Amino acid sequence: MNLTLLRATAHRNRASAFWFTVGLVLYSWLMVWLYPVFSQGEYQELLERMPQEIIAVFGGQDLGFDTLGGFMQTEYLGLMWMLIVCSAVIVYAAQSFAGEIGDGTMEFALSQPVSRLSYAITKAAGLVGYALLLSAATFVPIQVFGPRYEVEIEATVFLQLFAFGAMFMLAVGGFAMLLSSVFRSAGRAGAIAAGVLVTLWTADLVSNVSEAAEVFDPINVVSHWQPGKMINGEAIPAGSWWLYGMLAAVTLAGAVVIFTRRDVA
Amino acid sequence: MGDVIKTASLTKFYGKTRGVEGLTMRVPAGAVYGFLGPNGAGKTTTIRCLLGMLKPTSGTAEVLGERVSLDGTGLRRRIGYVAGEVRLYDKETGRWHLDYVAGFRGGRGRLAEDLIERFVFDPSKRVKELSKGNKQKLALILGMAHDPELLILDEPTSGLDPLNQETVYRLLDERVAAGRTVFLSSHVLSEVERVCDRVGIIRAGRLVAEESVQALLGKRLREIEVRFGQPTEAELLAGLPGVDNVTVVGGDVLKARVKGDAVDAVLKRLATRHVVDVQMQRASLEDVFLEHYREGRAAREPDPMGGEAR
Repeated sequence: MNLTLLRATAHRNRASAFWFTVGLVLYSWLMVWLYPVFSQGEYQELLERMPQEIIAVFGGQDLGFDTLGGFMQTEYLGLMWMLIVCSAVIVYAAQSFAGEIGDGTMEFALSQPVSRLSYAITKAAGLVGYALLLSAATFVPIQVFGPRYEVEIEATVFLQLFAFGAMFMLAVGGFAMLLSSVFRSAGRAGAIAAGVLVTLWTADLVSNVSEAAEVFDPINVVSHWQPGKMINGEAIPAGSWWLYGMLAAVTLAGAVVIFTRRDVA
Repeated sequence: MGDVIKTASLTKFYGKTRGVEGLTMRVPAGAVYGFLGPNGAGKTTTIRCLLGMLKPTSGTAEVLGERVSLDGTGLRRRIGYVAGEVRLYDKETGRWHLDYVAGFRGGRGRLAEDLIERFVFDPSKRVKELSKGNKQKLALILGMAHDPELLILDEPTSGLDPLNQETVYRLLDERVAAGRTVFLSSHVLSEVERVCDRVGIIRAGRLVAEESVQALLGKRLREIEVRFGQPTEAELLAGLPGVDNVTVVGGDVLKARVKGDAVDAVLKRLATRHVVDVQMQRASLEDVFLEHYREGRAAREPDPMGGEAR
């Protein structure tokens, strides 16, 4: 890993990282602030009147809405959070290789004495740091601001959420980085990554109301993202951790290997 | 001193598109080597192969005694590179770029500040605020600031005004006087003639000529103008190989273009008449260059201006 490159990468992504972080902190704060109000009976009744398909869109079909987990999954972590963090990590990952090649700045970067292996590992390390930052920006405010509104999550659950959230982002970001190591344009790498994610989300949605798409469930990163259950004290299956972990490890390793062997100009 | 750059049958294809093909060349240490060719001839592809940015389809390249690989960190530490199309980080300042490069190269020396002064460059501005010429200055400063053993420049004076072009030429002279080597790709022939010791001419991805600038010019085209003591006719030089563009002006002045190896035969033919005056002008590098391309077209090779490769 190259510290000069890592510092430069952090510097050049500082604006987007700042706004994503601030946005997530405020969103998390807003959610714990609103939960006591929305957990009252009227909200529960409102949700129960909604079609199951609509509730499934927001990932809340298996959870009681009067629970903190159900509320957080439906209103925040089930859909909106995924959109926010996936946008952040896909943009970062797509820019890492394909973006720099497309912009022509890779030629400048690789005319410096930095090995491709070091370059690629540094970019992957940047993704890990970004995922940890965004996960912290999501879950730390819930822990910090929650007690003010009588929203309390056990420390072990908080740590699990933090780690699981970061793993989810690494799985998605790793896949985008793998595409970035193959293509010459950040737009194409990002669009394909986003397209695959939307496809998986659609498959998850369909599988909630039909058995037709359940075939994707074992490998569907969207289906395995169940933070509401975690907040409610349910254990996340080991298979979900393995799926995210293996996907992140394999795609990031693949991106590093491909980048060290490809033409970069 | 040995060769700083050596390539053997270096070939790079982008799919079916030829970048450079069978390129074998040597660049001696301490030289300013001009790499000439029009757009699409394969100059930039060659440079990118030398820097390990492109993986050759076949053949080998050796730079500063090391075989070029895609991961040649040690080699890039000894090389300074200025790309033909300068692409830097638009939102960052010149100072940021200098610090960035210094971070990789273990600090910034006095040379960087000296170059900033000589180019009268303001490093506090963001790249997106810089004119094309100032971006080029920044690229030159970044490429030269660590006093590299080998400087690879792709169209180094593109966008620079004549004063700054002269600064570049002086810097190159100084680098070479200090024992450095310069590999300069250009299609600005006056520039090559001004600064280079040797030139290689690349056409359609292949090296078609490689010699010293003086030898190349000495051997090649001459413009000859002869005034006779009596009327003459263009047919006087008929049948001589290496002679073309023969014209007669005012009845007694004959003009022709003569290849270097045909001079002897031409002078002998002219001496059959009463010659009053002879002027012979050596061709410019531009003429030599164009001659090579005319030969290429005559041999029905791909149009060199057709932009076949990068």
